[in-house]
Amino acid sequence: MALKLGSLPPHLCSSPTKAKNPNVSFFWGRSLVPPLADVSCSTASLGKSYARLSITCTAQTVSTSISQGTPVRPTSILVVGATGTLGRQVVRRALDEGYDVRCLVRPRPAPADFLRDWGAVVVNADLGKPETIPATLIGIHTVVDCATGRPEEPIRKVDWEGKVALIQCAKAMGIQKYVFYSIHNCDKHPEVPLMEIKYCTEKFLQDSGLNYNIIRLCGFMQGLIGQYAVPILEEKSVWGTDAPTRIAYMDTQDIARLTFMAMRNEKTNNKVMEFAGPRAWTTQEVITLCERLAGQDANVTTVPVSVLRFTRQLTRFFQWTNDVADRLAFTEVLSSDTVFSVPMTETYNLLGVDQKDIVTLEKYLQDYFTNILKKLKDLKAQSKQMDIFI
Amino acid sequence: MQFGRVLTSGGIGIGSSASSANTSLVLFKNCVMTSYQYGPNLTSPSLSLKRPSCLPANGENKEQEETSPSEPKPKSKSRSRSGRRGTKGKKKDTDIVPEVEAEKNVPVPIPVQSSQPANLLNLEDVNPVGLGRKSRQIFDDVWRKFSGLGQISRTPTIPANLEDPIFIRGPMCDFTVPEAQDTTVLVVGATSRIGRIVIRKLMLRGYNVKALVRKDDPEVLDMLPRSVRVVVGDVGDLPTLREAVRGCNKIIYCATARTTITGDLNRVDNQGVSNVAMVFQDYYNELAQLRAGKSSKSKMLLAKFKTRKSLNEWEVRKGNYFSDSSFALQYDEGIDAEFDFNDEGEAVFSGFVSTRGGYVELSKRLSLPLGSTLDRYDGLLLSVGGNGRSYILILETGPLADTTQSKKYYSRFNTKLGFCRIRVPFSSFRPIKPDDPPLDPFLVHTLTIRFEPKRQKPGEIIEDRQQDPRNFKLIMEFIKALPTGQETDFILVSCTGSAIEPTRREQVLKAKRSGEDALRRSGLGYTIVRPGPLQEEPGGQRALIFDQGNRITQSISCADVADICVKALHDSTARNKSFDVCYEYVAEQGQELYQLVAHLPDKANNYLTPALSVLEKNT
Repeated sequence: MALKLGSLPPHLCSSPTKAKNPNVSFFWGRSLVPPLADVSCSTASLGKSYARLSITCTAQTVSTSISQGTPVRPTSILVVGATGTLGRQVVRRALDEGYDVRCLVRPRPAPADFLRDWGAVVVNADLGKPETIPATLIGIHTVVDCATGRPEEPIRKVDWEGKVALIQCAKAMGIQKYVFYSIHNCDKHPEVPLMEIKYCTEKFLQDSGLNYNIIRLCGFMQGLIGQYAVPILEEKSVWGTDAPTRIAYMDTQDIARLTFMAMRNEKTNNKVMEFAGPRAWTTQEVITLCERLAGQDANVTTVPVSVLRFTRQLTRFFQWTNDVADRLAFTEVLSSDTVFSVPMTETYNLLGVDQKDIVTLEKYLQDYFTNILKKLKDLKAQSKQMDIFI
Repeated sequence: MQFGRVLTSGGIGIGSSASSANTSLVLFKNCVMTSYQYGPNLTSPSLSLKRPSCLPANGENKEQEETSPSEPKPKSKSRSRSGRRGTKGKKKDTDIVPEVEAEKNVPVPIPVQSSQPANLLNLEDVNPVGLGRKSRQIFDDVWRKFSGLGQISRTPTIPANLEDPIFIRGPMCDFTVPEAQDTTVLVVGATSRIGRIVIRKLMLRGYNVKALVRKDDPEVLDMLPRSVRVVVGDVGDLPTLREAVRGCNKIIYCATARTTITGDLNRVDNQGVSNVAMVFQDYYNELAQLRAGKSSKSKMLLAKFKTRKSLNEWEVRKGNYFSDSSFALQYDEGIDAEFDFNDEGEAVFSGFVSTRGGYVELSKRLSLPLGSTLDRYDGLLLSVGGNGRSYILILETGPLADTTQSKKYYSRFNTKLGFCRIRVPFSSFRPIKPDDPPLDPFLVHTLTIRFEPKRQKPGEIIEDRQQDPRNFKLIMEFIKALPTGQETDFILVSCTGSAIEPTRREQVLKAKRSGEDALRRSGLGYTIVRPGPLQEEPGGQRALIFDQGNRITQSISCADVADICVKALHDSTARNKSFDVCYEYVAEQGQELYQLVAHLPDKANNYLTPALSVLEKNT
């Protein structure tokens, strides 16, 4: 392979400078080239300043002869973060549409066998170790990046350093399309580390010169199952906030479907698109809906946003609780009374989607509860049958 | 527990600290509650699995309070109990009863807890290690829930639900097919362009998949999903094929010859299809025999010509189309026909018709076994030999007593030199009087085979008596009724031939057509898909055209062909059909002849059924 690894910026190998000052949460100190366009649009909020650094992708497509020599098949895609909630749906959709799917998966003790069962090729690599990335990109036409660090691990490692390395690699190896999932309104909330990182990555990707699709998402319906539906069914306490934020949850299967439509659509090249569900819901509304569908009342513990916020403030003072603070950072978004939703009509028209085909939250949860309650009934019927033999 | 929302007045105000004090109370309350529910899969949404396991956990914790709060003991206990759960036993049943009660009225455990404190306070309770561990668990749990609130959309515990069937292959997945779990599909040509996608699609939908591959090289196996059962074999090798079809319900044949050398073509496209179909039919027959011939797959015997006696009910008639007998007599050179059992044990219907407008026919009133009617059958299967004439099969319906009301339906069939099996579907019968209603197989009472010298293939040498088209010889072996199946058994991916280089096209098509014919004759429910030139691109993007009659011009993606194959598995309209399929022709901008009305294939619309239902059956 003619790729020169040396063409990757040298800082990839250097150990990243950790944020030493908890107040300045975004100091990566790795700007290679003097910041170009949008540098350090610092936002002041809560008396703290966040410096937005811009990093320019310096990797060039090394030799055009690679792409000329053996043209890659347009059906070969690499899915990063394939085991995640969204990633697995993307993989499934891609396989069903006839793509050859390669999944970049971190080496782990319990391998993601379900991906292999579906017919995807699983390659082991770690975004945290940039030297493992290039090999996975050989022969790939499109990279779909649905990776996000796990809540329990430091955000910067995967979401920023890993992504920078991946994008630079993709650029260097002549990847022809890069699909990146971002968060809705990420440009408006620089105080939330994950959103800030997503926004920086967007900028970085846009500057890299890759042919990209950026898709901003609001919320996944799948996340609600674990958060509300299951606890309600099990009569456990449900924790909710009293935040008035409305989120337009979307089914990840729909997201995956629309993504592939967008990916193949020439008109969406180098565009930032926003995907949102049909309706925006507050947590209270979601809980009420779950209660109605489950036919039982939830044991709701409402935690005021202010408490979360206070905890965040508290945890930020210590180095060791910094990750915790980062995780709680969405509190700022929750308390800001925003509506996480976008009108989708234009996107539907652009992609040629019928709005009727997009799953609503009512339908989604109803399907879930119908299935689960049926299963529970079966279980109970079974245990009753056993009683006969006493 | 409602707190006023503390506004963002900047920093920590009195209000927020007050509310935090309140919340600590809340937290504590939850600590108590959650401590009893702590378990490794707390937030995993696999409810179906969890329900039985979390209920005993309640009881177990009760027990734990009564005896000792130290950790490892009850854990191991619960494990052993859940292990016993799988086995039948009285102990288990008694276990279940209190659980159900506890579930019905939740408050019951609480008084039990409060009545126990005297026992609770023993030495082990103040064991610092145990307490520390416990409090750590409680804190972790609460903390996880608490910090989960700060998230917008991320699933709190991704690794936990990694194995969760609901999320991986759950009831809410677009791809699930209800029948998939009980269906085993053999994919022949698993590594072909279409085969690979077919396998992935089948796996996504939860089918059991067997793959026939020629070599079990690591690179071949890497192409296939792990849980596919790989059978090493070849379509030319009958023993391996027998092994491969064992336990299968359906076959998708997407193997194709790698070269256009005649030998290769013959081996894979012709003989291969024939072999697989034969072996599969054998397997079905074996199953049918196990069920004493009462399988829905078994054909019904209408007539068998093995003994002289079996010829008795057959009646030979001579007739003439011209009612004006004088005209007929003018050209009468004689008609002769006989139906006889010869010395070789063959029932032969032979003779000649030299009279203009004359015909001879062989007729029998059908006597069906009690309880069976022809409407549950799809058509007739004749096993005949002879000198390759064409005949007319006539079915007569109507009241038996009154022959004037009877209606006749005809279908023409060609025989080949030598023995062959001919499938005459009921749908191919047309009424002799054009205004009669279409054939209802239920009413059929008489079957007639007619020979007439019209429309025969012209004989090359008239002098040779054998070649004279007015002579005929039909050796009858049996007539059976083909059962109507709901679904197709065998899906064959053939081709339209438009992508093959012109010099070899004829040979390729010939091999493919003979393979198709072999499949049609096999008696299996079949679907033959003839795609246009294949493109390696994602499927589901463009509208498809389904057609019969070799008229298609466009290409099609492999993924769409694979999708058609998978959809056709359970589609009754796909049974016993051959069809061509390609992309819809999209005109250049400004050159459109008509408006696009077809829909893109999508989860909401099943495009296959409406498309196929208009196509001709038994083709």
